[in-house]
Amino acid sequence: MTHLAVADHANTDQNARLVWGGGLLALALVLLLGLSIGAVSLPFGDVLRAVRGLGDESTMAIVRDLRAPRVLLAALIGAGLAMSGGALQGTLRNPLAEPYLLGVSGGAAVGAVMAMSLGVYQPALVTLSAFVGAAVSTMLVIAIARGVGGSGDTRLLLMAGVVVGAFANAAILVALADAPPERLRGALWWMMGSAADATWPAVARTLAALLILGGLLVWRARELDVLALGDEPAAALGVDVDRAARRIFLIASWLAAATVAAAGLIGFVGLVVPNLARALGARQHRTMLLLSALYGAILLVAADLMARTLRAPADLPLGAVTALVGVPFFLMRLRRLAQ
Amino acid sequence: MLFPHPRWLHRSWCLLLPLVGSLGCTRADTESNAVAQTASPLVADSIATAAPGTDDFGAPVPTDAQFAARVVSLNPAATEVIFAIGADSLLVGRSRWDTFPNEALRVADVGDGIRPNIEAVLAVRPTLVVLYATAENRNAAAAFERAGVRTLALRVDHIAQFHRMVAQLGRALGAEARARIVSDSVQQTLDRVSAVTRNAIRKRVVWPVWESPVMVIGRGSYLDELITIAGGNNAFHDLDAPSPSVSIEEIAKRNPDVVITSAPRAAELAVNAQWRVIPAVRAKQFVVHDPTVTGRPSVVLGMGAVQLARALHPELADQLR
Amino acid sequence: MTADRAPSIVAPDLMFHEVSVTYPGRSVPALDRVSLTAAPGQITAVVGPNGSGKSSLVRTLLRRVPVSHGAVRLGGEALTAFTPSEIATRIAIVPQREEPVMPLRVEEFVALGRHAHRSAFGGPQRIDLDAVQHAIDTAGVRNTVGRRTDTLSGGEWQRVRIARALAQAAPVLVLDEPTTFLDIAHEMAVFELLDALALRGHTVLLVSHQLNLVARFATHLVLLSAGTVAAAGTVDAVMRGEILERVYEWPLVVTRDPAVGAPALLPLRGAGRRR
Repeated sequence: MTHLAVADHANTDQNARLVWGGGLLALALVLLLGLSIGAVSLPFGDVLRAVRGLGDESTMAIVRDLRAPRVLLAALIGAGLAMSGGALQGTLRNPLAEPYLLGVSGGAAVGAVMAMSLGVYQPALVTLSAFVGAAVSTMLVIAIARGVGGSGDTRLLLMAGVVVGAFANAAILVALADAPPERLRGALWWMMGSAADATWPAVARTLAALLILGGLLVWRARELDVLALGDEPAAALGVDVDRAARRIFLIASWLAAATVAAAGLIGFVGLVVPNLARALGARQHRTMLLLSALYGAILLVAADLMARTLRAPADLPLGAVTALVGVPFFLMRLRRLAQ
Repeated sequence: MLFPHPRWLHRSWCLLLPLVGSLGCTRADTESNAVAQTASPLVADSIATAAPGTDDFGAPVPTDAQFAARVVSLNPAATEVIFAIGADSLLVGRSRWDTFPNEALRVADVGDGIRPNIEAVLAVRPTLVVLYATAENRNAAAAFERAGVRTLALRVDHIAQFHRMVAQLGRALGAEARARIVSDSVQQTLDRVSAVTRNAIRKRVVWPVWESPVMVIGRGSYLDELITIAGGNNAFHDLDAPSPSVSIEEIAKRNPDVVITSAPRAAELAVNAQWRVIPAVRAKQFVVHDPTVTGRPSVVLGMGAVQLARALHPELADQLR
Repeated sequence: MTADRAPSIVAPDLMFHEVSVTYPGRSVPALDRVSLTAAPGQITAVVGPNGSGKSSLVRTLLRRVPVSHGAVRLGGEALTAFTPSEIATRIAIVPQREEPVMPLRVEEFVALGRHAHRSAFGGPQRIDLDAVQHAIDTAGVRNTVGRRTDTLSGGEWQRVRIARALAQAAPVLVLDEPTTFLDIAHEMAVFELLDALALRGHTVLLVSHQLNLVARFATHLVLLSAGTVAAAGTVDAVMRGEILERVYEWPLVVTRDPAVGAPALLPLRGAGRRR
C-alpha cells in the first residue's frame, strides 16, 4: 500500500489533469467514432458536415436521426448508471453494490407489462410506466425493510430487494407465458439492453433525469462522504443516517430506473465504473460521481459501438457487451481485494 | 403482423433463453425427446431432405386412414388444409388459433396449440392429433403417444413443406385424391404468377415484421419465396433465418425500392424519424399486404402470391386476376 | 497548557437521567436506569467491565439505540429537542470503532468534522478551514497530512479520528475507548490533550478501560456494572479494592502511586495471590 501513498503525494494535480483531460478526450473520440461508424460507410468529412446540417439528405438522416440519438443516449445512460452505482456503493459501504439492487429491474418490467396489458403501446407512455413501476418498486423495498426492522440495516434492504424482485419476475413470467414468439423475442432483447431504439425525445427525457437526479446526488455528495464512514461515525457527525440513506437509495434507484426505462437492463457499468473512478484517484464522492459519469459515458458509447460492429448486420445486446468487458475487470478487482 | 412494442426488462432472462431459443428459431429441432421410431431425428426446417414417410418430429406418417376416426388439429395451417381436402367431418377438435376457414369455428376449441392442454385434448377422445412441429411440443407428442393417440407433427416454413403437409394429411385422412387436387391447384396459381412476373422488372423489397429489435423476412420464410414469385427480390435474401434482426441502417444501406407492410404500419413508419432514414420510407414507397392472407402458409398461398404480385406490379393487375 | 489558565469556553453539562436501553430481542437491559452527569471543565470517566453498558451509553447519544426510559439532557434541554445536525455542533463523539472502506486523505477526513456546520451549498468557509487546521495541530497529526487514511498506523488512525471530532468545535466531547492501539507516549498525549480541553472549559466524557490513566486525569468517575451504576464519585471514592473486585470479578489490589498521587490498580494472579 505504501507505493500508493507515495504516488499519492506526488503528482496529484498532474494525475487529476490526466484523468479528467484524458477522459474528456476519450469521450469526444468515442462519440465521434460512434457517429462515423455504422452499417453504411460514410466518409468522415460527410459525417462532420451532416452534424452541422449540410450535405446529402440520406447522410444527414443517418447521422442525425439514427446514430446521434443512439450515441448520446448511450452516453447518458452510462453516466446515469455509473452515478447511481457510485452513490449506492458509498451509502452501502460496499464496492460491489450496483444500481439494480433495490427492485429497479423487476419493477420496471412489471410497469411495462401492465401498460401493455391495458393496451397502451406508445413508447413514451410505456417508458413512463416502466419508470413508475421501478420507482414504486424501490419505495416498496424500502418500506418493507423499514417495516421489518429498520431501513438502516443493509441486509434487510438487500433481502427486501430480492423478495420484491422475485415477485416481479414471477408476475412477468406468467404474463410472458402466453406471449407470441415475436413479443417474447422482443422481451428478451430488451432484457439485455439496447440503445438501438434511441429517439430524440428519449434522449431529452434521459438527460432531464440525469441532470435532476444526478445533480441531486452531486449536490449531496458530502453527505455521501459522511455516510460512507459508517452508521455510527455518520450519526456522530450530525447526519440522520436512516433518512439520508433512504433518500440516497431513492434518488439512485430512480436514476437507474430512468436508464432502464430508456434502454433496458445494462449490467456491470454501475458496478465497475465507480470502482474505476476510485482507482483513478477519486476519493471524495463529488469527484467520484462526476468522474464516474464521464467514464460511464465513455464505456457505454464504446460498448454500443462494439454492439453494432462485432457481428454486423446483427445488433448485439448492449448488456451482453458490457458483461464481456466487465467480467475481466471484475476479476482483476477481485484479485486485488483478495490481496 | 407488426406488433408495437413496449420496453421491458426482466432479470431472469436465463429462464427465458431456452424458451425463446426454441420459439424464435425455426432451426435444428434436434432434441431427442421425440417419438423415436425412426433412426434419424429430423431437422424441422429442412425442406427436401424430409423423408416423405416421416413427419417433422421424425415419426412415421400413417400411410392409410386407420387413425383417422377422430382427428384433433392443433395447427392452423393443417386445419385449413383438412377443410380444403374435405376431411373436416373427421375433426373433433382444433386449437384456439385455428380460425380459418370460418367453418372451423364450429369445431370444438380445445385450447392452445403450443404446449397444449393434454387433458383437454384427450377429453374429446382423438385417434390422431396434428401438432405444430416446434420443440415446445415434443413433450406433448410424447404424452399423446403414451396415451395411445397417434400424432402427426408438421410445420410450413417453405412452400415445399406445404405440399408435403397436404400430401401427408391426405394420406393420413384418407383423402389422397382431393389432396392432390388442392396441392396442384395452389401450385398452378403460384406458377401462373411466376410466369406473369417473370419478365417484369424486379423490385427490391424489404419486409419488416418487428420493431424492437428490427426484424425482417429472410430466406428462411415462405414469404421470401412469395416475394420471388410475385416479382420481387428480397433485399435480405442472403440471411437464412426466417426473421433475422438487423439495424435500420442496414436496411438503408441495402436501399430497397419498396417496403412491404400492412396499411396501419405504413402510416406509422412514414412519420417515424428513425425509419425515415430509409429512402423508400421517405418516399412513401409502401406495398401494402393483407396479413390475413399472407400470414397463413396454407391453402391461401396462391392468393397471397397473387395479392403480392398485384401490389408489387400494379401494371400487371389484369393478368393477375 | 498551564493549570491556572482561565476557561475560554462555556460548555453545557451532559446529563443522563434514568436512562434505560434494551436491545431488541434481548430480555436483559443493556442500561438500567443509569444516571450520571458530566460537568464542564473536567473529565468524567465511565469505566466498567466488558458488557457493562459503557458503549451503549455512547450509542444513546448517537440515537442508534432504543431508549426505553429516561432522557439525556444537554445543558438542561432534552437531546430529543435537537436535530442530528444541531447535536453534532454541540457534542463531538468519537465512537469506539471505525473502519474506512473508502479511504480519504487525512485533511479531507478531518474536514468531514465540519459537516454539521456547513450549509448544503458552497465550499468550505474560512472558519471551516481554520477549524480543520487547528484540530489537526491539536491532535498532533500534522505529520500525517497528505497521506491516505488506509495507510495510517493504528495510533495515527485513532488520533486522526480525534482530530475530526475536534474539528467539530463542539463544547462537549465524548470519546469511547480513544486510546486503543496507542502506545504509552500517544496514550499519554491523548489524555493530556483531554485534560487541556477540560481545563479550557469543555465537558469531556470519556469511556475507557484504562483505569490507571483514568484515575490520574478524571475528576469524576462512574463505575458501571451490568447496566447499572455500581459506584460514582471522585476517583478516590470509587477506586476501592472491594468495589472494583466485586465489579470486575477478579482479585486485585488498589495502591496509591506516590509518583502521580492517584490510585493505581494492580490485578493479581488468578489462582491464589502469588506474584
